[in-house]
Amino acid sequence: MTRECALLLPGVCAALADPRQPGSDDTCLEKLLDWFRSMTEFDPSVSLVQDNPCLTEFITSILALPEPSPSILSFTLRLAGILASSENRFQHLQQEKLLVRLFGADGPLSSTVWEDASVRSGWVEGVHSMMHHQPALHFLCNGGGIDVIFALQGDPSLFVASSASRLLVHMLIFSVESETTKPFSAKDFDWPVCAQMIIKRVEDSLQSSSASHIGQSLKLLTSLFSSCHSRWTEVLWLGIAKQIESFLMDETIQAQRMLANLLLNMAWSPVFCDSEGGLWALVTSALEHLTPLQVGPLAVGILRLYKCPQDVRIQALTVLLQPMDCILRAASQPLEYAGLLDESVSDPATVESLLSCKSSCASLLCQTLAHLEELLSLVYLRVDLPYTSLLRSLMTILQFCNGFLSPASPLGSKISRILINCVRVQRSALDVLAALSERKGCDTLIGSLFDVLLAYLESPNTTATVLKKTFQATSKWLVRLHELSCSTSQWQQTEKILADVFLVLQKRLCSPCWEVRDSSLEFLTVLIKCLRDQDEFRQSLLSSEVPRLTENLLEDPESYVRASAVTAVGHLAFITFFAPELPVIGNQYNKENTVAKLQEILSKDPEGFPRRAVISMFTKWLRQGCTGRMEDTERFVSRVIQTVEHDLDWEVRLGGLELVEVFCSQTICQLGLPRCSSVPVLSAVASSIHQNRSLQIFCRAKLFSFLFRSLCDCDKPVGQRACDILFALRGNFYPTGTPRDSQETGELPAGHGIAWLQRTLRQGSLAQNFPTGGGNGVDFEDPESMMLALGTIDLEELHDELNRSSDHVEKSPQSLLQDILATVGTIEENEADCY
Amino acid sequence: AGQDVGRSCILVSIAGKNVMLDCGMHMGYNDDRRFPDFSYITQNGRLTDFLDCVIISHFHLDHCGALPYFSEMVGYDGPIYMTHPTKAICPILLEDYRKITVDKKGETNFFTSQMIKDCMKKVVAVHLHQTVQVDEELEIKAYYAGHVLGAAMFQIKVGCESVVYTGDYNMTPDRHLGAAWIDKCRPDLLISESTYATTIRDSKRCRERDFLKKVHETVERGGKVLIPVFALGRAQELCILLETFWERMNLKAPIYFSTGLTEKANHYYKLFITWTNQKIRKTFVQRNMFEFKHIKAFDRAFADNPGPMVVFATPGMLHAGQSLQIFRKWAGNEKNMVIMPGYCVQGTVGHKILSGQRKLEMEGRQILEVKMQVEYMSFSAHADAKGIMQLIRQAEPRNVLLVHGEAKKMEFLKQKIEQEFHVNCYMPANGETTTIFTNPSIPVDISLGLLKRETAIGLLPDAKKPKLMHGTLIMKDNSFRLVSPEQALKELGLAEHQLRFTCRVHIQDPRKEHETVLRVYNHLKGVLKDYSVQHLPDGSITVESILIQATAHSEDQGTKVLLVSWTYQDEELGSYLTSLLKKGLPQSTA
Repeated sequence: MTRECALLLPGVCAALADPRQPGSDDTCLEKLLDWFRSMTEFDPSVSLVQDNPCLTEFITSILALPEPSPSILSFTLRLAGILASSENRFQHLQQEKLLVRLFGADGPLSSTVWEDASVRSGWVEGVHSMMHHQPALHFLCNGGGIDVIFALQGDPSLFVASSASRLLVHMLIFSVESETTKPFSAKDFDWPVCAQMIIKRVEDSLQSSSASHIGQSLKLLTSLFSSCHSRWTEVLWLGIAKQIESFLMDETIQAQRMLANLLLNMAWSPVFCDSEGGLWALVTSALEHLTPLQVGPLAVGILRLYKCPQDVRIQALTVLLQPMDCILRAASQPLEYAGLLDESVSDPATVESLLSCKSSCASLLCQTLAHLEELLSLVYLRVDLPYTSLLRSLMTILQFCNGFLSPASPLGSKISRILINCVRVQRSALDVLAALSERKGCDTLIGSLFDVLLAYLESPNTTATVLKKTFQATSKWLVRLHELSCSTSQWQQTEKILADVFLVLQKRLCSPCWEVRDSSLEFLTVLIKCLRDQDEFRQSLLSSEVPRLTENLLEDPESYVRASAVTAVGHLAFITFFAPELPVIGNQYNKENTVAKLQEILSKDPEGFPRRAVISMFTKWLRQGCTGRMEDTERFVSRVIQTVEHDLDWEVRLGGLELVEVFCSQTICQLGLPRCSSVPVLSAVASSIHQNRSLQIFCRAKLFSFLFRSLCDCDKPVGQRACDILFALRGNFYPTGTPRDSQETGELPAGHGIAWLQRTLRQGSLAQNFPTGGGNGVDFEDPESMMLALGTIDLEELHDELNRSSDHVEKSPQSLLQDILATVGTIEENEADCY
Repeated sequence: AGQDVGRSCILVSIAGKNVMLDCGMHMGYNDDRRFPDFSYITQNGRLTDFLDCVIISHFHLDHCGALPYFSEMVGYDGPIYMTHPTKAICPILLEDYRKITVDKKGETNFFTSQMIKDCMKKVVAVHLHQTVQVDEELEIKAYYAGHVLGAAMFQIKVGCESVVYTGDYNMTPDRHLGAAWIDKCRPDLLISESTYATTIRDSKRCRERDFLKKVHETVERGGKVLIPVFALGRAQELCILLETFWERMNLKAPIYFSTGLTEKANHYYKLFITWTNQKIRKTFVQRNMFEFKHIKAFDRAFADNPGPMVVFATPGMLHAGQSLQIFRKWAGNEKNMVIMPGYCVQGTVGHKILSGQRKLEMEGRQILEVKMQVEYMSFSAHADAKGIMQLIRQAEPRNVLLVHGEAKKMEFLKQKIEQEFHVNCYMPANGETTTIFTNPSIPVDISLGLLKRETAIGLLPDAKKPKLMHGTLIMKDNSFRLVSPEQALKELGLAEHQLRFTCRVHIQDPRKEHETVLRVYNHLKGVLKDYSVQHLPDGSITVESILIQATAHSEDQGTKVLLVSWTYQDEELGSYLTSLLKKGLPQSTA
């Protein structure tokens, strides 16, 4: 603790303990606790409480209040817990009997303030904080605290209930691991007293008839098995396994989902997955007996496991695929398709009844689809997925949803009626469809798949969110289609599909709904990025109306759309006027015209998004070497930075710096490293400058004025980036060190205004302000001055200053203490007035 | 917002549907605590599957600030509803906040522009009073809430159960917005904000006059006035105020707006003119209030200009960017003034100067001495105690739940509500669940035949009195119908079954069976004088529909077993008979 803080702390404690003062802002109290936590975390000594007696005095005075406010009492409980987190400080507080009065049976526990959730929460958190040594454990166990915590598991406040559960798990682990003296033996395990108390209560509640008590214990066990992988957990499990197994068949306790979760967490623990303890038999039984809705998360979790018997894996996959199988069977004519599965794990009638019921059909499908998407995202899947059948079932679902398929079978017609226009299922199915494109093996269906996708793209009933997902799936499958046509040389199908896609895209680009226009443009950009090297793609795109419509959207009333149009037009340029071999139809595209339009957006658009899009597109062009010869590029960059340096949006200015960075490195690369003198003598430096072409180019392009002014930008990231660039430049121009390095006196050269610049930068980077009047004698376009500036200005100091988070002062504990003290006496607080 | 004015995020479960009301953030924290902890919503399963929809009441960040985080980072992929103006303005504020956060702390683990856009693309915009069908059972409807442009109260309805959530609202019209209004929808629960639960607010006119006076005085003596604001909302209100005042007083000092967002903000106020109050709508024909003559766009160079000026600059808490830069330049001159028109969180320069600190440590251990005048003015538009009571009177809820207020003030209002309206009032803390029991009235169709028959039995129908009807309830395809049992059988193609209850009674009687039967017959005939008791030729006895037969016990001939069987209709008589027989036969009849 700094001396300043130690001086402020007594005043703060007095203010907080004074009931006449308006309650402190909750965030202040939270931050105060954060500070104490950081001070005590790695320091077990008693000095904090000894050197600052105001802390114990504060606790005493709160305890003396007849009616302390719940928020300050809660704060006191948590503070005391944090302070008691080391044994030394615990004993110190015990000597004053503070902990008994706070956490014992006669404390807040037995008063009316206990009704306030924040007090109960403070109590639990306080206990949790101190539970790092045995005296605290015994203090609580002997004082009847365990009963309180068990009761709090059922608290009406979710926060209190879950904190209580976490605390019990922590105490159990801590008790076993700190109090067990004998080496571990599964047959004769000696539970410490505190652990015994907890386990006894868990066993009792599992045997009780109360569903809520059973639920609480299942949660506790789940959390224990997921956080502790010691062998004693198995001993605990063996004592309760029979009881828990019986819950699987018992529908009255409604704990099936929690059971599935418990089993999953056990399966992840090395203690259980390797042992003969019967876990896998129980998992198998759960997969058989629980409904697909209850068991889905367990099944997908099993499939993610590295260690798991293969038959259990296959069973889990079968459970997951059952609804998809049912869909396929319901939709097909007898003997048409075989379905997805040869046999099922649980009764197929359960899945059928869930799917034919309005209230559960969509839920089951959405859950199944989400799990399948998760599986497809795994790099290594240890079971084979039937991709073709899966794709067919996805297409069936999508066709049910848009009414394109109404099968004759009673089940099929029922499901199709339920699913029609169901946006939830459409979204999930399209997500899986997109993920499936990366898996090989379902290419035979690609033609009919595009029929389904195009139907969605065309349909006026497709909602904006579904359309966006359709675009995402379509772009992925178009890439797949292209790969396929490359290998089979069947270009006709690809051309036909592309023509259809662009036709529908034309329509969508003119949608009255901005979300649709925007998603269409994003789709176009993705397509160009992935397929721009393909002739068929370029031909189809350029012979459609899409490029013209895209350019029109540069004037869209919605700024998001303008920004997306800028990006799309920028990428279109790669296949029109920047293309090495311009396709014949690409001739109509006028480079100057497009660049001018983008320049205009950069200088005039009233909103940041389009301007940001332009600057980032320009940088991309520059990176890809599209901006022409060096002189053209120099003029281009110079024009752009003069436009952006006064932009009100700092991200545009930052984008400008990125452009400068790319330009600098490209120029230096092209012209070779500057032949700079290795002798750190100023005159020698000066003489080499005139031979240094890069430096001259940078000066002409007015880069330095932009860079040095940016150091004092009122938005920090701009200053940081400018500083990084200047660093890099200095490294290039002074490869063997700067004159500053060798001048021990640190005196700055007279003339050129460099001393002024250094001063200005030092103050300006802190005040985030560069004088608007001008350079005061500094000529930012003079190579000699700039070379001197680079060599002599203390960029390291600026860099350190800029890289400190700008709220480090505001965030400091001293600032917090000052703020709390400043509110003392302002009885008439500013009314709660959030916005 | 349980018992505090912080992030609002309320989860309502109604008739099996789960709806999240608002998804706000807390500006007082820079870590995880700024967003609600969504892991409490569901521990098993995905949020998208659990939640049926999310509703955002208005564009303030404590009501919508966590939305992009929730939809793009936590992964909620379901529908989000808000009004058209909120959908238009929300991304501006989110973007504004994102820029400040990323700029100031260099945070990277924060939502991006692209995420804000993707989130807004999932939003379904709704009109006032439009009933929106979220799915077949769940419907929502927006009502005008005043407070800020586009703010709405939402009614959520599933079947006959409903909840109204007010969001933030204002029951008195102000300079550019009207008063909140809701119809007498009698919801099961009204969730109301209670920011000013115990306050009777002074007239806003007074505060406005005060504000203009202070600005005017400063400008007159050649000082500069800085008004830190958030891009949208209060800024527009104050702009209208100053614009009209400048016009009336013919003032020449320049007024600037620094963010470059004015145009867009004002564009929205123009676009959604129907959401503003009547006065603005009327004058719109002659002159658009949002086309300002005196308020100009700010350039960074202007801050150094000599002479008086008024500048609106973002952000509103003086914690970064433009407003802080101007503050640093002007703080040292006592002629200048900074007016804070809103709340500032701890740690910000705004908070420090409002609590009276005059020497501020800035970066690099620089001390900034604040000599300029510092003023705080609250223009926030919430309903006060009177307004909240008025809304309850208007909506007539069966239960009230208070949120978005301070515990002490809520407690006071809660008592007042319970006394005056005789309804239960709740004020849960954050994380607490309140359960409200409803008496759902379920509409049932009744067949005409049954209705006629039932009316014929009773007295003349009295429309005001409830009447008990007997029939068979058919529940099919989510509809309920009450029909006569005969019709039910016919409709469902079922045959009628008779249900008979049977009981064995053992009697000690060594005589022959037919003699025992005769004894029983005589006994019953004597006891049940008003009933028809018959001795049938096959040896059995009937009492009304009840049948009694006697057999000898297979092992003990001295014991006779009486088999008593009766129908459901004669349940009472059947039980009586059995208990009578169990007592045995009187000796005298021997």
